[in-house]
Amino acid sequence: MIIYLRSGRKLHDLLKPDVDQYTRHVEMQEGATLVEILGELGIPLVMVAFAFVDGKVRKLDYAPTDGDVITIQSPVAGG
Amino acid sequence: MNGFGGTILRINMETGEIKRTPTPEKFAREWMGARGFVAKTVYDEVPRDADPLGPENILIMAPGVLTGTFAPAGSKIGFGCISPATNGHADSNMGGHLGAEMKYAGYDMVVFERISPEPVYLYIDDDTIELRSAGDYWGMGSLDLEKRMKDDLGEDFQIATIGPAGENGVVYSCITHDFGRQAGRCGVGAVMGSKKLKAIAIRGTKSIPVHDLPTLTKSTYDIIQRTKTHPLMEPWQKYGTALFVGWSNDHGCFPSRNFQTTYHEGWEGISGEKLAEEILVTHKACFGCWINCGKYSRARIPGKPDIYVEGPEYETIALCGGSCGMTNIHDVAYANYLCDNLGLDTMSGGNTIGFAMECYEKGIITKDDLEGHELRWGNIDDFENVLRMIADRRGIGEVLSHGTKGAAERLGRGTLAFAHQAKGMEFSGYDTRWYSAQLLSYCTSDIGAHHNRSWAITADIEIGQDTPEGKAAVVIYLQHIRPLFDTWCCCRLFWGEVDVTAEEHVDTIGYLTGWDVTFEECMKISEKIWNLTRSHYIERNGGPGRQFDVAPARQLEEKVPSGPAEGQRVGVENFEYMLDDYYYNRGWDKNGNPTREVLEILGLPHVADNLEKAGLLGEPFEDGVPKVRGQRLKPKAM
Ligand code: SF4
Repeated sequence: MIIYLRSGRKLHDLLKPDVDQYTRHVEMQEGATLVEILGELGIPLVMVAFAFVDGKVRKLDYAPTDGDVITIQSPVAGG
Repeated sequence: MNGFGGTILRINMETGEIKRTPTPEKFAREWMGARGFVAKTVYDEVPRDADPLGPENILIMAPGVLTGTFAPAGSKIGFGCISPATNGHADSNMGGHLGAEMKYAGYDMVVFERISPEPVYLYIDDDTIELRSAGDYWGMGSLDLEKRMKDDLGEDFQIATIGPAGENGVVYSCITHDFGRQAGRCGVGAVMGSKKLKAIAIRGTKSIPVHDLPTLTKSTYDIIQRTKTHPLMEPWQKYGTALFVGWSNDHGCFPSRNFQTTYHEGWEGISGEKLAEEILVTHKACFGCWINCGKYSRARIPGKPDIYVEGPEYETIALCGGSCGMTNIHDVAYANYLCDNLGLDTMSGGNTIGFAMECYEKGIITKDDLEGHELRWGNIDDFENVLRMIADRRGIGEVLSHGTKGAAERLGRGTLAFAHQAKGMEFSGYDTRWYSAQLLSYCTSDIGAHHNRSWAITADIEIGQDTPEGKAAVVIYLQHIRPLFDTWCCCRLFWGEVDVTAEEHVDTIGYLTGWDVTFEECMKISEKIWNLTRSHYIERNGGPGRQFDVAPARQLEEKVPSGPAEGQRVGVENFEYMLDDYYYNRGWDKNGNPTREVLEILGLPHVADNLEKAGLLGEPFEDGVPKVRGQRLKPKAM
């Protein structure tokens, strides 16, 4: 199945977008978690604060479903 | 002059005299606004022995080159002076709409001198400038007063106020605006209170002259189109900074119970998700911002009135929440409201109360000191009681009104070891025992421990959490780039979060002013300001500089007892190594004193002369100072 990972900022270079400026398409096995997917892409988990799917915050043990558009965010400071 | 209001105001609070002078273009170009204007003016004008709360200190209010313009969120304004918390240079920045309004009234800087004989507020309506009696307003809460003044003067005035804490000289008092935006740090509210200046009301209806309006318009339009669809826009809009409470706990940098540990049991109850689920009323933005990170909330606590507050954002949750042992988002929002209305910085305020709670736990502060109350972790009633005592400087509140360092000096009994401050200003909401670059950032900061000078947590991760090597140069880079936004006065979140580059901001300055300005020039200005404020600190407090770059013993020596960072501490040897590396990379000597060579490169030869006269100039480097002072971390560190 295919999912779409999106990010900017610090994670942009690691993500290597291929769909548009911010988005990379990823083919994956059903049931794989974000931890496994990010690991395969070589994105250090410590640099991902959370994932954002359909307006909801998800932890990295989330197992995406086909067609998910997933934003990943690196940690940032308070204001 | 393009890009600016055009006029500097000087107000003698003692005599009421108001002087207007044109803003010199050379001054604007060399210092760019807010933090730069403050550093230069306070260095030149405040006697080295002036009492921060006395008549010789000045208070400055200044927007920056980008305030009030098309730049993404050109919303910021700076307040500055000598800080009563650190006895050094202070600048504190806030968003909202005041800075833009001030430039639309035609002003680039207001310098408040001396002390008014009676409480007043400053009224500016374009060219009409008056000091008006604030007799009725004195004693009111910051938020209450803003509402009252909007009713009295009109909704279209932008208002800044202080609360009772600022009137009473609590050294971490803030200035509040827009019902929840604060110039929170460095005690600028106490200096405003010392001048008997209760509030500032501004209405401006003019415009800012622009050098190249078509190009500025097109470039801003392109930035808006690009960032509108940025993937990180939505989470920011929905949760704001509070979303990082979870990550911070998972990675062992969240302060729990006065930084006793770095994973807070029950953090889920004060997380960004909880905020969005339980208390969020609406989103709120500063001038010219389309991120809207502000969260306006309602707290409901049985037995207390429902309150509305902007927040709590990450730092408040960490310090009023985790550091005070709270696990309920309503309690944290209520604590946020109390701090805002009493006029206290939620960061130093929360940090200081966490410190006091540990003193209570250890029997150093007792019920007798607290007018019969307790001071238990996570108890909002106890929090409220001691906070009010601080604002009034009553009983133990007087001791705590000096911040954690001042309180530890008065309480003794080893309390300094767990006072989380540098140079007298409290840590932001990050424990550093697994993040040594962040500890270096706090301890070398010119204004005391503040993450907006350098937030190096991700740099620590990228370089390696177990090594002190290679961190100093990156901290220096961060100390130049992050406060550059407090100089230009646009929000750094567009740069940090949605990929508007610093170079694009520099282009905007060019379209706006007509200056042929480069990013490198701006970074050099930022380095110049840093060296000026460092030299100023040393001149005021006596050298060598190294003696002021001190870390709390808990961060150096006590291992984290639990959570993901269990067993971590920085260690004295590692810290001293980083300091040596830091001074070398800055072109300062081993004592932490700036050298003539670096000051002359930065156009500050008179500062070198002053340091030399005081016997505080750094020893020269045999092979010259490093050419690059501060290295950018690749891919990029924020
Ligand atoms: S991102 Fe937040 S702090 Fe920055 S300008 Fe927008 S609302 Fe204000």
